[in-house]
Order: sequence, then C-alpha cells, then structure tokens
Amino acid sequence: MALSLRSASRKTWQTLSSIKTGVILIILVVIFSIAGTVILQRPMTDPDDMERAYSPAMLRLLDATGLTDVFHTYWFIALLVLVSLCIVAASIQRFPNSWRYFARPYKSPDESFRKNLPTQAQIPITGDEQGLSAAERAFKHLHLKTERIVRTDSFSLFSERNRISEMAVYIVHASLLLIFLGYGVVDAFYGWRGFLVLSPGTASNQIEMKNGATRTLPFSIRCDGTGEETYTDGTPKRWWSKLAVVDNGREIQRKEIVVNDPLVYQGVRFYQASWGRTGKLDQLILSAKPAGDTTRAPQEISLALNQTVALDPDTSVQLAEFIPDYVVQDGHVYARSNDVVHPAVHMIVTSKKANRSVNVWLPEIPDIAENASSPYVFEPKDLKTGVFTGLQVSHEPGQWSVWAGVVLMAIGLTFVFYVAHVRFWVVPVLDGRGQLALWVGGTANRNRDAFEQKFRRLVEQIQKELKPAAVAPAQTQATTTTAGR
Amino acid sequence: MAQARAEQQPATGTTLIVLVGLSIAFLLFMAFLNVVKSGNILNESNLLYAALIFYAGAGALYLGFGVTATESYIKFASLATWAGLVANTGAVAHRWYEAGHPPFASVYEMLLSFVWTLAALTLIAEKRYGVKVIGTVTMPVAIVGVVLMQLLRTEVHPLVPALQSTWLHVHVTLAMLAYAACALSFALAMMFLIQDKMKTESFLAATSVFTLGIYASILTRFEKWGGLSVIAWDAENKSEVFLAKNVRLFVTIPELGWMMLLVFAAVATPLVLYVMSRVKKNEGFLDVANRAIFISILLQILALVFFLLRARDGSYPSLDAEGLYPTNLAASPFILSALVGGIFANLLYLLLLWRREDLERHLPDADALDRITYKTICIAFPLLTLMIAAGAYWANRAWGSYWNWDPKEVWAAITWLVYALYLHMRITRGWRGRRAAYFAILGFAVVMFTFFGVTYLLNGLHSYA
Repeated sequence: MALSLRSASRKTWQTLSSIKTGVILIILVVIFSIAGTVILQRPMTDPDDMERAYSPAMLRLLDATGLTDVFHTYWFIALLVLVSLCIVAASIQRFPNSWRYFARPYKSPDESFRKNLPTQAQIPITGDEQGLSAAERAFKHLHLKTERIVRTDSFSLFSERNRISEMAVYIVHASLLLIFLGYGVVDAFYGWRGFLVLSPGTASNQIEMKNGATRTLPFSIRCDGTGEETYTDGTPKRWWSKLAVVDNGREIQRKEIVVNDPLVYQGVRFYQASWGRTGKLDQLILSAKPAGDTTRAPQEISLALNQTVALDPDTSVQLAEFIPDYVVQDGHVYARSNDVVHPAVHMIVTSKKANRSVNVWLPEIPDIAENASSPYVFEPKDLKTGVFTGLQVSHEPGQWSVWAGVVLMAIGLTFVFYVAHVRFWVVPVLDGRGQLALWVGGTANRNRDAFEQKFRRLVEQIQKELKPAAVAPAQTQATTTTAGR
Repeated sequence: MAQARAEQQPATGTTLIVLVGLSIAFLLFMAFLNVVKSGNILNESNLLYAALIFYAGAGALYLGFGVTATESYIKFASLATWAGLVANTGAVAHRWYEAGHPPFASVYEMLLSFVWTLAALTLIAEKRYGVKVIGTVTMPVAIVGVVLMQLLRTEVHPLVPALQSTWLHVHVTLAMLAYAACALSFALAMMFLIQDKMKTESFLAATSVFTLGIYASILTRFEKWGGLSVIAWDAENKSEVFLAKNVRLFVTIPELGWMMLLVFAAVATPLVLYVMSRVKKNEGFLDVANRAIFISILLQILALVFFLLRARDGSYPSLDAEGLYPTNLAASPFILSALVGGIFANLLYLLLLWRREDLERHLPDADALDRITYKTICIAFPLLTLMIAAGAYWANRAWGSYWNWDPKEVWAAITWLVYALYLHMRITRGWRGRRAAYFAILGFAVVMFTFFGVTYLLNGLHSYA
C-alpha cells in the first residue's frame, strides 16, 4: 500500500514536471483565454447587452459553466495554479543537473569527452609549455581569461565565460512565479478596487467597492478643487483634481492629480478616472430690481441652495429649490433628469412687515409661480452648477512583486537569448601519429554560429602565436568539426 | 497587377532598371508640379509621396531580382529603400513635430511608424543577414501601408487624457518593433518552407485558406438583402459615429454583401479543387485550381474596386437608426487592408508558382533560414515581454489596475504564450525545420489577430488602436 502510494506520488511528480504536461496546460490556458475574449464577459458588459446577445437557455448554460466570467472562475484559477506547480516541478527536476554544471565546472576534459566534442581542433606543437603559453597569449588576445589546470600527470588550460547563463532559465521561471504571486495571491487576497466621488470642498473616507459594498479608509481624502480643460473641438484634454490627505484631523499630503498621475498614500492609490457635473446648483447669480420702480439700479446677488439674502431691510430672498431638468405636470414641477438642460429655480421672497411670502419661479411657470406679486423682479445672470471628480481607488500590494518579476524576467531573458555560456579547453596530447599536438575544444550552450566563428578565430590566433617557433603551416591542419544542430 | 505583369515578362539586363528609373523620374516630376502648385516642399504628404515612389521602385527592383537574379538590381533596390526610408523618416519627424507627440496615436500614425520599422528591418536583414529577396515580401507590404495611409490621412488629433503618457509611447514602440520582428520571422519561415521543398500545391491550399478566412471575417458584416455593413463616418469631426459609448453606428451598403459572397465562392474553388486532387489522387485538378486562383484574383480585385467606389463616400441607410448616414474609407481600414492583403497573398503565390526555381536559387539554404527564423523570434520574444510589461505599467497609471483581462491584453498574453511554446519546443524538444516553421507562422497569425482582429471583432478598452 505504502509502496503504491509512493509510486503514485512519484508518477504525479513525473507527470507534473514533464514538458508535455506544461505544453498541454499552456494550450488549455490559451483555449480558455480565447473563449474569454470571444464570449461576452459579465464584469465588462451590461446585463442588458448579455441578454440581447444570447438566448436565455444559452446564457444560463454559459453562466453555469462560468464561461461568462472565465478569468475569475475557480477552474481557470486552478489551471493557472497548475501551470505554476508545473513550472516549479519542472525547475526542481532540472535544477540539480544545472546546478552541478554551474557549481562544479568541468575543467579538465578526459579522453572520451575530447573524442566526442563536436567542435575541436588539433594544432601540432613542439613542446607542452610552448604550446600552452602560445594558447594563453591567444586567449588574452581575444579577451578571454584562462585558468591553468594542474593535475598530477598533466596540465591544461580552461577558459569560460558567462557561466550564469546556465541558470538563466530558472531566473525566467522564478520571475514568472513572482508575477503570479503578486497578481494571483497577494492582490487576489489583499488587493481591492473601488470608486470615490468627491465634489470640491468635501472630504470622504468611504470607498464604494465594485460589488456595491463600502470600505472605510483609516484616513480621508478632501477635494480642494477639480476641473476640466477641453480642446477647441470640445473633446476633453485634461482633468485635474486638487486632493489632500487628512489623517487624524491633520493634513498630511497635498497633490494635484491628473489622468496618468495618481496620488499614493499608505499604498492606496487615487486615480483621476472621470469628471462631470453633478446637476446640483453651486451658485445662482441674479439681478434683482424693485418692481415698478425704474429709478433704482438693479442689484446683483448670488445665492446658493437654501441661502437667504437680504434685498433691503424689509425684504429677503431665499433659494428654495433647484431643478436641473424640469417638467410641469398636473400643477407640479418634477425633475426629469439630473442633467442641467432645462433648469428652473424656486425662490421665496419674504417681506417682514407685511409678513408675506411669495413663490417666485424662474422661468415663470404658469399657475404655480406668483412672480407678478413679488416686490422684486429677478433676472438670471449666471448659473454655476456643481462639479464632481470620480476617483478610481485601488490597493494593489502585489504589484511590487509583479514589477520585480518583470525586471527579473527582462534580465533572465537577456541571459537566455543573448548571453551564451562559452567554454574552451586546451590540452597537449599525442595525435594519431604519435606527435605532440595541442587539442583545442569548445562548446557554447546557445548561439552556435557566433561561437563557431569565435572558435575559428581562437585556433587561428593560436597558430599565429605559434608561428615564431617556426611551425610549418602545412602541418597546421586544424580540423574543426561541427555536429549538425 | 503590376506584379503579375512583371512575372509574365521577366525583364532582362538593364531594361527593368531603366523602366523603374523612368517611372520614378516621371512620378518625381509629377510630384514637383504638385510642389510648385502648393509652394511647400517639405510637408508630410509630399514626403509620404516621395517615400511611396521610392518604396514602389524598390519593390519592383526586388521583385526583378527575385525573378531574374540580376545582382545589380539589389544594389539599386537597397538604394531606393534607403531613399524611401529617408523620406519616411522625414514624414514621421514632421508628424511628430506637428502633433507634439510621437506618431502612435491613431491607426494612420501607427501605420506610418510600422512602415518605417519595416523598411529599416528590411535593410538590416539584407545587410546583416544577407537575406536579399526579403524586400520582395516587405516592400509590397510597405507600399500597401503607404497607400492605406493616403486613404486614412487625418488631421492631427488631440489626445484624450488617458493617452497622454510617455509609457504609451514606450508601449507602442515596443509593440511595433516586436510585431515587425514577428512579421520578419513569418516571412523567413515561409522562405524556409520553400527551401525545404514543400510542395507548391500546399502553398496553394494555405493561400486559399488564408484568403477564405479574410472573406469569412468580412462576411460577418453581411446583412439582410445582400448588404455589407460598415462603420458610419462623421466627415466634420473626422471620426466614427458612436450611438453610445463604444457602440458604433453601422450603415449598410447594398449589394456589396453579394459581391463579397461571390468572391468567397471564387476563393473557395481552388481549395475545393485541391481537396479533390488529394482525395482522387488526380493531378489534373491542380491545373484547374491554379487557373481558378487566377480568376479569384481578378474577382478579388473587382471586389476591391467596388468597395473603393462604394465606401469611399456616399450615404447609406442604417439598421439601428433612421435616415441616411455617410461613410468613408477611413471608417473601414480593416476591411480595406484585408482585401488588399488577400490580393497580395495570392499574387505572392503566383510568383511562387511561376518562378519557384529562381526563388530557390537565390534564397539562403534551409538550415540558415531555420536558424535566422529562430534568431528573429529570440529578438521578438523579449520585445513582446517588455511590450506587455510597459502596457501593464501604463494601464496601472491610467486605469488603476495593471491587468484588466481586456481582450487586447488577453490576446497579447496569448501571443506571448504561443511564442513561449515555440521556444520550449525548440530548446527542450529540439524542434527544428518544418514544425518550427509552422509554429512561427502560427505565432504571426496570432499577432495579426491581436493587432487587427481584436480591434475589428472584439470590443474593449483599447478602442483607439
């Protein structure tokens, strides 16, 4: 029983670490990702659009299988977890071998290795020392460091470059795991996103979350002003908001944010996401003239909602209602929408002495307004409606892991693709005819074209260095062989 | 058309150079007259025009080299490419200066940058790797690009707030470089297949499937009573017409749908004949298929002409709103490039059909092509990685989240995964030769879908590009 359990776990391990499993998993990820882009996704689509696009039965099926929100279903997440496990298993499986390679470089090649190495050459020499020192000079000429390997019965040269390249693939895989960790673990469990709407002069610490819940921040954000700049054709050019962080009643930080430049405090980011008009009145500018009196100049007053302003010692006016888009029905005034398209204001003009209040409407609404009996005639000059700034609020502590992963991956990929581990060995040997020769061999783990060129240059350079010692060029038959790759 | 003519009568010796020289001189003269009239020599449209002339000359010369193998053509072809590149650089610089941001904001500007990258890469591939005939493939693409740009010419558009970021430029530059590298790897993989003695009829099948795919996706816009719906165009604001946020208004051009359906059938014919030749093991069907290709090219050109005539301007009814709405070629860049791309692919097949031996003689050998394909992907993959990373970083600054599962993002990730698979198969499984070439082709198909298909067929945040 225990044995079979062990063999089962070994089998699982082998399956998990095999490249075949990895490839199949990636293909599955690709297929489901495609499904997630072809089928309309719940989080990004209006429910109405969903119902228009699919029949009710189809929609039920899609919802039940999670195909309407592929990227957040447990099976897609499970798939990504499996991919991560596969990467980990494959890396662990292959790591010891690479590590041996990395930690204990093979410095003095034995005979069978020399025989089987695809790229090698033999150069006739007259003496061990003469040959090796010529080779050393040649390496130096090509800016390669050499190491003399001294054994009891032989000595040889070893030179290598970029040994770290053997580890590069693990760097890339580790970086991928860092990204998964940041996105899939840290941000999935500790991150959140929400929305905050502020109008100038207000402060709040209540964030409306995507799912409709509210989140209370330990500090609040105050908006000191917001605005929009447009191009001449009316398309928005710039939205800005002046924000301040208020923590424990103290102002900690101030920043003017724009799109692409958020405010960050305690890991919470505030982004300029939208901007608009609230449909609420900010300020109404009016000119008021006493009724029937043409000699007195009109006075200009400004009113906010529910504000009362004295017009003369006896009379005052109060702004009672502001309706951004009014419609009259059955003797009542209703608001049709919150867009400021057909604004109407309701004011109450009070005379203390007469103890009389008059309802004034602008524009004058028949049957409701009592404008005719008002002691003052009002004329609207300007209407300032309120604006709001929409802030996207997010807390993504995992992003640092993601960015670290990205940087690491860039480094890893550079090593994987552009930095080759190149090794050279030089050993004095007796060639087939029993003559002394310098065996030169080398390998590279990638970019073999460039390596072979370098190898040829090295062999030529060694021959050149040997020249002063008068070696007949006819004898220098360097046999360079290459296995077909 | 010009290509088909050049293939039928391969010019010998200096004839072609003289012809190309004469036509360049003529076109330059015409351009000169134009300049005298407008009194402004170094504006963007003149520079683009010059680039078009030189690229066209280079394309003709590369083709001439492909067909006749006259070495001197290559010299002149590179020279013409250089001249075109200089003019193109001028156009890019002019646009940049005028707009105040690097030219990546609209389809027009991206094409401008893409053509520039393509020309530069062609010269690099030729000088550095000695792949001389690469211009035969890339120059016609550049020509199509410049012609498309003439149709799509737009005023300098102001940037909406989300696009005002340096990271956008980094992201798009990387995307262009990566996609150009993918395009190159695709062309090299195709050349590998030619050198690997893949049968000409397999290319026939591939070309037909590709073209069939194009017409199938165009026919997704087929409407009742044989119409074809295209996006309405607001000439005054030079923009598409939106019914609501991200909902475009479509107008239906009558009869054009039937035309596309007819071409679809014409394109399917060679494929059917190919399948029959395989099933019945009768080579005779292939001869008919090659003739059918010829007919399908003619019909495709006809479809393009009809499309140009009807969609250039004019007002058409819409299914979603009452009244007539105008449209413009600028509103349908994808249909247009699909039509042109289909014709181009079929012409390339004809080149292969008629001049295979010459091509084989002048291409590098299969092993070298295999290696260079791999190397190009080694360049493309890190660029893709960085492109996605820069895009994520930008999204994080603009939308408050570095990953939104937006269709464009997902497809970029799919592209990345496909190339990652290629690399794993090659490095650990030792995939070489055909299988690797197929994979490189698949990779590029995914790139094309990410670039065009996602914008055309799927909605998302990336609505501006």
